[in-house]
Amino acid sequence: MRSLLSRVVALSLIATPLLAQEGEAAGGSVNLLSPSTGLMAWTLIIFAIVFVVLAKFAFGPITAAVRDREAALEAAIASAKADQEAAAALLAQHKALIEAAKGEAQKFISEGRATAESMRTELLESTKKQQDEMLERARRDIEAEKGKAIDEIRREAIDLALAGASKVIEKNLDDAQNRKLVESYLASIGTR
Amino acid sequence: MRFAALLTALVLAAAPVRIAAQDAAPKKVDIITPHITDAHALDLPAGLGHGLVQEIELPHWAPLHIGSLELDMSPTKHVVMLLLAATLVIVALTSAARGVAKRAATGRPPTGFSGAMEAMVLYIRNEVILPNVGHHGEAFVPFGLTLFFFILTCNLLGLIPYGSTATGNIAVTATLAIVTFLVIEIAGMKALGAGYINTIIFWPHDMPLVMRIPMSIILSPVELIGKFTKPFALAIRLFANMTAGHIVVLALIGLIFSFGSYVLAPLPLAMAVAIMFLELMVAFLQAFIFTLLASVFIGLVRESHH
Repeated sequence: MRSLLSRVVALSLIATPLLAQEGEAAGGSVNLLSPSTGLMAWTLIIFAIVFVVLAKFAFGPITAAVRDREAALEAAIASAKADQEAAAALLAQHKALIEAAKGEAQKFISEGRATAESMRTELLESTKKQQDEMLERARRDIEAEKGKAIDEIRREAIDLALAGASKVIEKNLDDAQNRKLVESYLASIGTR
Repeated sequence: MRFAALLTALVLAAAPVRIAAQDAAPKKVDIITPHITDAHALDLPAGLGHGLVQEIELPHWAPLHIGSLELDMSPTKHVVMLLLAATLVIVALTSAARGVAKRAATGRPPTGFSGAMEAMVLYIRNEVILPNVGHHGEAFVPFGLTLFFFILTCNLLGLIPYGSTATGNIAVTATLAIVTFLVIEIAGMKALGAGYINTIIFWPHDMPLVMRIPMSIILSPVELIGKFTKPFALAIRLFANMTAGHIVVLALIGLIFSFGSYVLAPLPLAMAVAIMFLELMVAFLQAFIFTLLASVFIGLVRESHH
């Protein structure tokens, strides 16, 4: 059927004036559509050889290289992704650590502040108490010393008065009676 | 518009020269037919002072007889071109593959020529063959790639001086189409098993028997013709595209001689150059189309189990 078709096409081509004229010039009719069996056989042999050689030595290695490269790229991408994930996890961990450290530091600071505060108030209180105590003791000492001094002064005064009076009165007065008088006077001073 | 005016002016200016040329009875020279047909001679550059072309006669061998078939295996111009194309393709792609492998050993992508070849191989493989031949199409990749690079090289060899387009010969394209046809049908048999018979005999399962038989009788020949039109179209498309481009270029160059004018010569020459650029594109396009359609046909027959 193909030969019939090709013959029809070939006939129509030959019928065109151009080709007919050229056929004359070439010294015979030219049929572009009649395949020569020899050339067909050559084509088949050459194509088969090219196919076998190229499939084995060209396309195989190229495809294999490309597949390897694709696999390597895939692996590189996967490892990069894993690295990135690990880095992100590490970062998060570090962030959490820093956060915790910051919190701890804050706690230490506030604790220190509280301790210092309490220590200060304690110190202040104890100082005040000590001061008060010292004051109190000083007051008491003063009071005691005052009483003692008063007594001393009183005794001294008595002695002085007695000495003075005895000197004055020695000549004219009975000693015992005078003493009584003076004592009663001193008592009156004491009560005053 | 201005171009047309320029053209008219040129034609008018050249008119006296043309008339003079016509007077000297022109000799008829056919430059197209020898160019687009096969020959038992090679066109090669001649030595200085011997013209531009010398014809080298190729040896004639006694025809082989296989049964009743007579096979004349004498080498022709197109056989030489096919061998040249095969050598070029094999050298280019194996060296590219070596370059790719060498660079791959260091874990780097290829550069330069091997990189370009790898890009082309990958494009044809990933965008043309694999999406069209269907699932598990890895086995068809070398065939499709060989088709593409072999046809492309043959097409390009036709564009260089002293070259000839082997793919502009129906014998070459028909052989490639027959090989493709065999690959398609064998792929169908492998993929469908006994179901392959359904791609020849139309047997609709969702119809009553009364309808099935006449439908089968009418449509089975259509299915069968469909099988043969595919490679036929492949062969004719490639052959016609390659031949037509060369005829156009030569016809344009022939215009120079039929004008017989130096003034007008640049115009057909410029058009011929433009057509040559188009031919360069067509060389890639036709190799691509052949591969694409072969892949599509393989995919069609493999997925035709309904």
